[in-house]
Amino acid sequence: MLHVVPGISLDCDRVNGTNGSAEPAQIVEAQDLTRRYGDGEAAVDALAGVTVDFPTGRYAAIMGPSGSGKSTLMHLLAGLDRPTSGTVSVGGVELTELDDRALTQLRRDRIGFIFQTFNLLPVLNAEENILLPLSIAGRDVDREWFDRLVDTVGIRDRLSHRPAELSGGQQQRVAVARALISRPAVVFADEPSGNLDSKASGDVLELLRHAVDDFSQTVVMVTHDAHAASFADRLLVLADGRIVHDGPAASAEEALDLMKAVG
Amino acid sequence: MLALVLRGFLQRKLRVLLTAIAIALGVALMAGTYILTDTINHAFAEVFGNAYAKKAVVVTERETLGRGTGSEVSVLNDATLARVRAVPGVAAASGSVTTQAALLTTVGKRLTSGGAPAIIDAAQPPRFEAFTAVKGHLPRAAADLAIDEGTANREHLRLGQQIVIAGRSPARRYTISGIAKFAGSESLGGASVALLVPQQAQYVAGEPGAWQGINVAASPGLSPPQLASRVRAALPATLTVRTGAQEAANQTSELEEKVGFLRTFLLIFAYVALVVGAFIIFNTISITVAQRTREFGLLRTLGASRGQIMRAVVEEGLLLGIVGAVIGLFAGIGLAPALDGLFKAFGADLPDNGTVLEARTVIVSLGVGIVVTVAAGFLPALRATRVPPIAAMREGVQIPPRPLLSRRALIIRFVVGLAVVLAISTLSKGIGVVLLVGLVIRTMRLRYRLRHHGKPRNYRVVPALASAIGWLVSWRGITARLARENSVRQPGRTLTTALALTVGLGLVAFISVLAAGTKTTIDQAVSRSFAGSLIVQNSQSGQGLPAAVALAVRTVHGVGAVTAVAFTKGRVRNLAAAGAPVIAEKSAVTAIEPDSFVKMYKTEWEHGSPATLTALGPHDTVITKKFASAHDLHVGQRLSVLTASGHEVTLTVTGIVKEEVLGLLTNLTVLRSLASSAFGQREDGVDFVSYASGANGAEVRHGINSLLRANFPQTHSQTAAEYTHEVSSKLNTFLLLVYVLLALSVIVSLFGIVNTLILSIYERTRELGMMRAIGTSRSQIRQLIRYESLITAMIGGILGLLIGVVGAVLVTIFALSGSGYVVSIPLGTLLVLLIAAAFAGLIAALAPARRAARLDVLQALVSE
Repeated sequence: MLHVVPGISLDCDRVNGTNGSAEPAQIVEAQDLTRRYGDGEAAVDALAGVTVDFPTGRYAAIMGPSGSGKSTLMHLLAGLDRPTSGTVSVGGVELTELDDRALTQLRRDRIGFIFQTFNLLPVLNAEENILLPLSIAGRDVDREWFDRLVDTVGIRDRLSHRPAELSGGQQQRVAVARALISRPAVVFADEPSGNLDSKASGDVLELLRHAVDDFSQTVVMVTHDAHAASFADRLLVLADGRIVHDGPAASAEEALDLMKAVG
Repeated sequence: MLALVLRGFLQRKLRVLLTAIAIALGVALMAGTYILTDTINHAFAEVFGNAYAKKAVVVTERETLGRGTGSEVSVLNDATLARVRAVPGVAAASGSVTTQAALLTTVGKRLTSGGAPAIIDAAQPPRFEAFTAVKGHLPRAAADLAIDEGTANREHLRLGQQIVIAGRSPARRYTISGIAKFAGSESLGGASVALLVPQQAQYVAGEPGAWQGINVAASPGLSPPQLASRVRAALPATLTVRTGAQEAANQTSELEEKVGFLRTFLLIFAYVALVVGAFIIFNTISITVAQRTREFGLLRTLGASRGQIMRAVVEEGLLLGIVGAVIGLFAGIGLAPALDGLFKAFGADLPDNGTVLEARTVIVSLGVGIVVTVAAGFLPALRATRVPPIAAMREGVQIPPRPLLSRRALIIRFVVGLAVVLAISTLSKGIGVVLLVGLVIRTMRLRYRLRHHGKPRNYRVVPALASAIGWLVSWRGITARLARENSVRQPGRTLTTALALTVGLGLVAFISVLAAGTKTTIDQAVSRSFAGSLIVQNSQSGQGLPAAVALAVRTVHGVGAVTAVAFTKGRVRNLAAAGAPVIAEKSAVTAIEPDSFVKMYKTEWEHGSPATLTALGPHDTVITKKFASAHDLHVGQRLSVLTASGHEVTLTVTGIVKEEVLGLLTNLTVLRSLASSAFGQREDGVDFVSYASGANGAEVRHGINSLLRANFPQTHSQTAAEYTHEVSSKLNTFLLLVYVLLALSVIVSLFGIVNTLILSIYERTRELGMMRAIGTSRSQIRQLIRYESLITAMIGGILGLLIGVVGAVLVTIFALSGSGYVVSIPLGTLLVLLIAAAFAGLIAALAPARRAARLDVLQALVSE
């Protein structure tokens, strides 16, 4: 078992076996990404050449209409899918060169996920769900960090409850804690507020903002909700598999206008 | 609707196949059993038909106690033969002898193996003889012997080779003069036949001058029935006269009765497999109905009636049943030779010429398979009808529970159900039992709900066992913990899946506990009762011992005493009761030589003492306590016994023994001299030998063995320890056969585990996708599924062992109480069974685990 370095520092050698040298400024880098589905006549380019970097400790929102390729981009960045061409690296590790085992390990140790449908294990209680990534990895729990996360997401009084006994907002907050527990290099959030009412949705988005500000967590969020996007530092807009806008965070109204322009 | 069902079927080929196999295996064993037994019957009918083809009329002695109880003394002789020859219309008549004996090589190796009989026949004049020589000639001289071609080929026998025949007289050597082929049939049903000249056959049978039958040929123009009535008129009524065809039919039906036992024995295992299969069908259809709640809701929204939904699910069960039954039937055709091979491996050689597939086999196998499947799918179908249309719109709509039945409605339902089940059981007892089990379980569940005011059943046993088993593997971390939680998620489902395994393993445990008890009981009985030095028996169990053995062994230097014990039968009437009713049709009777017997066999007395035995007179009998209390018999009362040789003897009860189970003394004990004079008993069952005081045991035994080898090579001597060891190894062989047959049910239950796992993996696709996304490795997923399967299998295994052991102990305590039967728990065997259950679980998980690990993360995440 590797020694877990306390604090924020990330142990890269777990993944690539090289020395844990200084963290690159860009935690996620993608070069000329394309993703084609199907062959021949029926082929569809979900991504048609995307080059994008995500710096450490920033909060990026990816928007775009349905079929724009935003989900595909996130899946490729997170190592859930493989590009047709181009390269992706997370924390300096080239994902396209990794086999399934190494990719699994990378997701386990360096990437956090938040899903639209929460995806908690119904048989585990909230605490166990939060600790699941560590349990899978067989790593020790940093109790201090756990306590801090639990207080941050505000579910201390719900720790022994199972998902079925929690509201949607509470479930998603558990999911946020789960994504953060292993101090990943980057958290990918796929429509994190998509299944929540406006109050719960606001809470979760605040939480992510908080993670970026207080824990220097890198967050990449896919959403089609302009309000959600307004919480981010940076806004990317995709259309037809290409980035059509990349700029600083916009207000919800500006984001909506951008969307209208491409949609 | 049917089109919809069919389409659904084609989309789920693998699941349909897996589920169908659950029923197919039971059907296969059933069809295989019918095919095997029909084939055996057919083969024997052919053998008997050919054997009597050339005989117009056959004279035999009457079997007073019914079939298969002929006395060992023949009453036909040359005088009878002369009387038959004198009947007008008799063209020819000849005496026949057919007896069983041991056929051995000159070094004492038996030419038959595995319980197949060796039959010694008196060669007949050509007009009656069913055998023809293919090499050499049929016996002409006293030393000649003709052997059947099958045995000759199997044992590589050549003309001129010497063969030893050991029957009721001291063994003699014969020289093979011919190799003979039986008319018409390829096989003799596994038996070996040796032909001798008539006088030699009589010698082997131990009855010089006596015939066991007389074959008669008719003059031209006289039909066999006409000849039969003429012969019957000329002979005393104690003889039976039949036409050749009647005799063949009689012998065939006698054999069919025996084959019937085999059929019933095998069918029991087929029905066990079917019960297990029914569990699995029920579980699988229940799960798929639950998974298709939305689909049914949609159909309801589109206007489908409850009846249509019901029909759709029942039709699915019907199709499943048809697929399973057809697969089973074909598998059964393949299984029949395998069953035959199984019996061969366990030492029972059965004839196997051709495969007989009767229409009945097809109808019964398909019918049973389909009925059981449809019945098992009926409850899930009912549940499907309760899906509300709203289920189409929303996710996670629960199927509402059925309304509670009143107590009265429950009783009425049970009674009606019982009547239906009874009506069905007149057609097939086996299906009746399967359905009865279902009805009782169903009623108990409804009653439970009634008593608990409709609260769903809380299967506490599943979480309890799952935690216990989960704790065992908890050191394996999160996967074990998750597996434990997953297995208690749907406790009813886990329990049904596990129960399928429980049935098979429970029976295995039940039988192994009873067998262990039997071994211990025999051990104790032998060491408590037997006070002699050696036991002499025919080395082939079930075969008798020539009376001459006891006399011969007595002459060996150093032998102190020899006592012969014979076993015979009689129809017993109680003369003390009004109307002298028959209290035992074919009661076992033990015949002893009291003076030497009491020295070598100890027993406890309810009324009397060993002196009662030594004082036993020719009109006295000692009975067992069990027999006495069953028929309210007391010392001093008189019994009338009709013997196999047709004598009626009156016996007075002089004592009552507390003989325990597996003891030597049966219902009645009489003098051996009475057995030979009145019961026609000529062979002994066992001889007990004790050494003279001061004799060197090893030397005496050596002397006895040399004598037996030279004169009675079919016998052997054993010490008490050797005897009990042999009995327990025979018991083990039988147990192994039972285990092999029960293994089928266990295999069926494995398919159930596979099915449930695959269905629950399908349900949890998205969950597994999430786990993979956050870094669970493929091998961890595999491990998770393996543990789930392990836990399910262990729940089934532990419950099975518990039920089996408790059941066996209860049976021993209640059903066998007072018989001296001991409970013995074979801990080693039970441990092996538990480990086997665990392995079964791991094997069942192989394919599902691979499937779960192969799930594509992305597709799993976006799946619904």
